[in-house]
Amino acid sequence: MPPTGDPLTRHYRRLLLCYPRSYRRDRGEEILGLLLDTAPAGRIRPTVREAFDVVRNGLRCRLGRPTSRTVGVWAVLTAVICGLFTAAAASRVAWETSRPQPDRAEAAAIFADALPGRSIGQIETAPALFVFYGEPFRWQALDDMLFGDGGEYQPGFASASATGLPPVPVEQTLAVTRQHLRASGWRIYETVSRADRECVSACDPPVALTDTTLVASRGDTVFRMTLFAEGGPNPTNAALEVQRAAPPAVVPAAVLAGLVGGVLAWLVFGWASRRTEYRPGVALPFGITMFLWWLPVLLAIPSLIGHQRAEPHPDWHPLWEWLGQPTGSLFFLIGTVCALIVLGCSAVPRRDTAPLRTIATG
Amino acid sequence: MREPTFLILTALAAGPRHGYGITQDVADLSERRVTLLPGTLYTALDRLTAQGLVQPDREEVVDGRLRRYYRITPEGVDALHTETARLRQLATVAEARLRGLRPRTA
Repeated sequence: MPPTGDPLTRHYRRLLLCYPRSYRRDRGEEILGLLLDTAPAGRIRPTVREAFDVVRNGLRCRLGRPTSRTVGVWAVLTAVICGLFTAAAASRVAWETSRPQPDRAEAAAIFADALPGRSIGQIETAPALFVFYGEPFRWQALDDMLFGDGGEYQPGFASASATGLPPVPVEQTLAVTRQHLRASGWRIYETVSRADRECVSACDPPVALTDTTLVASRGDTVFRMTLFAEGGPNPTNAALEVQRAAPPAVVPAAVLAGLVGGVLAWLVFGWASRRTEYRPGVALPFGITMFLWWLPVLLAIPSLIGHQRAEPHPDWHPLWEWLGQPTGSLFFLIGTVCALIVLGCSAVPRRDTAPLRTIATG
Repeated sequence: MREPTFLILTALAAGPRHGYGITQDVADLSERRVTLLPGTLYTALDRLTAQGLVQPDREEVVDGRLRRYYRITPEGVDALHTETARLRQLATVAEARLRGLRPRTA
């Protein structure tokens, strides 16, 4: 048997940190003794199988409720959703490393690149990176955000319209714009056409009116041009938009925060689960939390996947939109209140079991 | 009842055992087919204790190392009886069908 304090013992002690502290205090030496008893002479580090077994069972032990078959599933659901929310919050913070949305001069230069020699109308700029009804978000607008208008919180953009385009086929206008944009270093994405209206009175025979959107990106900037076939098959008007793409810090910040949030959520879930093992009253508020936190996610993801597939996206939608936020912020808030009730109940001390009698021999 | 649980209860049916004793006994009973790793063993013991099938018996400190003994409870004995009867019934049925199969395959 290896002596206490040897490298193997130190490795085992580190692995035992996966168990909750109170459990380690009570059973740590006992499990360590068994690990050392079963280790063959000369072993200096745990095998992968042994380490996996201790980590897996230690993490399970943190959840308490040893007879429950579902507590692990609830812990995973909690850790995943908390990790996602933390990642979304971190990604929003990381967005602050972005340059401001394009100003009038930058937008005018880009639009002139796309449609050289054409008259561009009044350019509207965004007052902030993200806007709520076109304005920077203010806390006074919190009630609007919570009560159903959360979907209006969107990335800002600079926009303008171009009128009086030459009445030539869409492809011809697009070809010219593509050529100019490529020459200026833009990456061009596949164009998307959407037929959603029909020309009846001015067209003989009637034809479908198709709006065509061209998307391009350069560095941290995304450009969109939509050609409208007003009253006939040849477009004469265009809507132009330009906005910032997610800065490079967003993905690493989201991944790191998501992992940290998930691990912390597992630990807090385990703590609350152990302390409320004999308090069935917490199941209802916990169930409400899970329902209200997951529902917007389950509704938003299919819808955004469809949207993402329908048109090219040089940049993914912000993570919080995939979580149904802030559209579902009222759900999130009520769920959070229920979670706080569960944590409040968990903070009430529980009764400990009586210790065993220990006999010293040998 | 899963096989490791059945084997742990069977090991404890012979008398109180500490963790190392249980793992050795389980390995012997299963002819080395089942090797209980420490994490798995204590998770199972916690579950069996919470179900009232096993309970801690006593603790000893041997050569400075803590050893906690576990014993099977009357409820544990009942559960082991029930599971043994179930396995025996299944084994009997399977043996009967295998006996019927032998002449045809010979």
